[in-house]
Amino acid sequence: MILSIVLAAVLALGLVGWLAARARARLLYKGRDSMHSMPVYHAWHLALWVVVPALLVWGIWSAISPAMVDQAVLASPAAAGLSTDPLQRATTLSEARSIAADPTFIGFNPLSTTLAEPMRAAQTRFGLIGAALVAIAGLAGGGYAFTRVRAGFPARTQVERGIMLVLLGASLLAIFTTFGIVGSLVFEAGLFFRDVSPIAFLTGLHWSPANAVGSDLDANFGAVPLFWGTIYIGAIIAMLVAIPLGLMSAVYLTQYADARARKVLKPVLEILAGIPTVVYGYFAALSVAPFIRDLAASLGYQNPSTESALAAGLVMGVMIIPFVSSMADDAITAVPRAMADGSLAMGATKSETIKKVLLPAALPGIVAGVMLAISRAIGETMIVVMAAGATARLTADPLASMTTVTYQIVQLLTGDQEFNSPKTLSAFALGLVLFVVTLILNIIALRVVKRFREAYE
Amino acid sequence: MSSPLNTPEMARRIARRNAAERRFRLVGLGAVVLSLLFLAVLLFIMLRNGLGGLDWSFLTSSDSTDASAAGVWGAAKGSFLTMVVTLLLSFPMGVLAAIYLEEFAPRAKWVDWIEVSINNLAAVPSIIFGLLGLAFFIGTLGMPRSSPLVGGLTLALMTMPVIVISGRNAIKAVPPSIRNAALAVGASPVQTVFHHVLPLALPGILTGTIIGMARALGETAPLLMIGMRAFVATPPRGITDPSSVLPMQIFLWSDEIDKGFVQNTSAAIIVLLVFLLAMNGIAIYFRNKFEVRW
Repeated sequence: MILSIVLAAVLALGLVGWLAARARARLLYKGRDSMHSMPVYHAWHLALWVVVPALLVWGIWSAISPAMVDQAVLASPAAAGLSTDPLQRATTLSEARSIAADPTFIGFNPLSTTLAEPMRAAQTRFGLIGAALVAIAGLAGGGYAFTRVRAGFPARTQVERGIMLVLLGASLLAIFTTFGIVGSLVFEAGLFFRDVSPIAFLTGLHWSPANAVGSDLDANFGAVPLFWGTIYIGAIIAMLVAIPLGLMSAVYLTQYADARARKVLKPVLEILAGIPTVVYGYFAALSVAPFIRDLAASLGYQNPSTESALAAGLVMGVMIIPFVSSMADDAITAVPRAMADGSLAMGATKSETIKKVLLPAALPGIVAGVMLAISRAIGETMIVVMAAGATARLTADPLASMTTVTYQIVQLLTGDQEFNSPKTLSAFALGLVLFVVTLILNIIALRVVKRFREAYE
Repeated sequence: MSSPLNTPEMARRIARRNAAERRFRLVGLGAVVLSLLFLAVLLFIMLRNGLGGLDWSFLTSSDSTDASAAGVWGAAKGSFLTMVVTLLLSFPMGVLAAIYLEEFAPRAKWVDWIEVSINNLAAVPSIIFGLLGLAFFIGTLGMPRSSPLVGGLTLALMTMPVIVISGRNAIKAVPPSIRNAALAVGASPVQTVFHHVLPLALPGILTGTIIGMARALGETAPLLMIGMRAFVATPPRGITDPSSVLPMQIFLWSDEIDKGFVQNTSAAIIVLLVFLLAMNGIAIYFRNKFEVRW
């Protein structure tokens, strides 16, 4: 609310400055070559000088003012009865803050109700001071820039320098995101590894965080069954579906289908990639899993469970088909035509050419595509959450219920929320493992693809 | 005199190779048909289960514990607010980063790091972004849980690399002669890019953006991490209210035991798929209508 008002006010001030600077610069225009920059650049220059300082001041103020509000409330006579324990103080203050924002809120501590009034007063006071500071910053910046609207002033160069900074900042966001991911995962996982040894985590065979209390943490946080479930579902079952179907689809679409059929079939196939994973998950749980269970029962399998690794893996494989297919498509198309033509000229049939020349030549690209597909499959969440089950076990039986890394992350973080229990923190350790593994797969695959393209160019 | 190519043994060999050729071709066709068959079965089952529940009250009411009274409006509004936050952040940031990397970035080690980082972010599992959102936006910055604001920020970080990559390809496709012409008549490099290159690349960038947004709209896992799974019976009024989104509603309903929710889940899936198909359709239309082949 306050955010949008301040933003709107600052932008309005910037607009006024923009118009003023342009009007003034236009008065200076005395024909060709009379000015260094066009009036519109003077306008942008001034608008930037209004908006940037104002937003900077506002950002700093909103970072430091809550502490000042708390100080003011604590200094007020109503806070005399407040406990001296810092933790209780903080809770009461945050309750008072909630009541100040929303009078229907009921706090646990009756004192918070009496504190709400001084709290609201202090918030208003510091809010007004902040607004005044923001206005001063904007006006000062604008005033400074306004004095510089002169014929010889290089406003365009200045504005372009500002634009370059913005562009650079936008690009750096990607790096910040990566650092943010690595930083938060490593930090939280570090807290987890204070309680549980990393070796026990990575090599232990028993996973049951629900039983993990007291001193036997190491024994209950062995993640190997999760890794096995992830690999079994994502890298084995799903790939057994996706690689043959994806590869053969790509071969058919690039080598056999005529241009018209290709133009229709390829986008339709890609719809498979556009369907949300939650839909696949629901389909797996609603139709595929019961079908597989009934099939297993009719084949004489004892007590098949509804949730099976096979159902999740099959559906995941179908989801990956278009991905494998388009990677294989790229790899096959990148093979120089002369190689296929040479083989055909020697009398080989088309299928012989594909099997003996095209596919071997495209192999590095296809392998890289499969690696990317695996990295996508092991990071897939919703299908396994809805169809794979929660039991961590080490088995090669595809009809057994099995759990994966992503399933456990969801399970651990959506239950009860004590943020610092080893149970919650272990999710971040699992996330870190997942991130590192997919990162390695991606880097290798991207490098292979790059080298493969260069080889044929 | 008989040529060595006319012996019966040779004829048999050729017949065998031709048969192998036909078999291989059939296997290829089979793979395509099998994949499409799966798609058809999936769509058919969703339509059969869901069409009956798709009526006006389903579209205009919000979640409820009673299957017949529950609807998707609250979740749809949550999805809309989340997508607005995502778009407002990821589109400008993605386009600006693409411009910088393609047009202005110096050849330096740290620029390579940005590129590696963007390519990797595009392939990082979505649940990892959820963990980042939980630890950073909620844990460190103390933003409100389950809100479209946090959901939108998280999805924006996920969508931005997609927009950067498609934006770079679109900018790369604009021929150098355009830049040279603008520079030759005295435009500055920044003017060249913003007045000439960017407008020509925009259709390609928009196509990539819509595809990235469609992916974000269907995303569930990261939002599960930041707590957007609460039961929300009133539609959110703003981006800081607790809210659900369409895929999350599907997930929540799929867990219900009551039979009536099977119909609701499938109906919600139909709604979501209609949105996604519409977005992809717009993207394809854009590509065909505005794409210039140089």
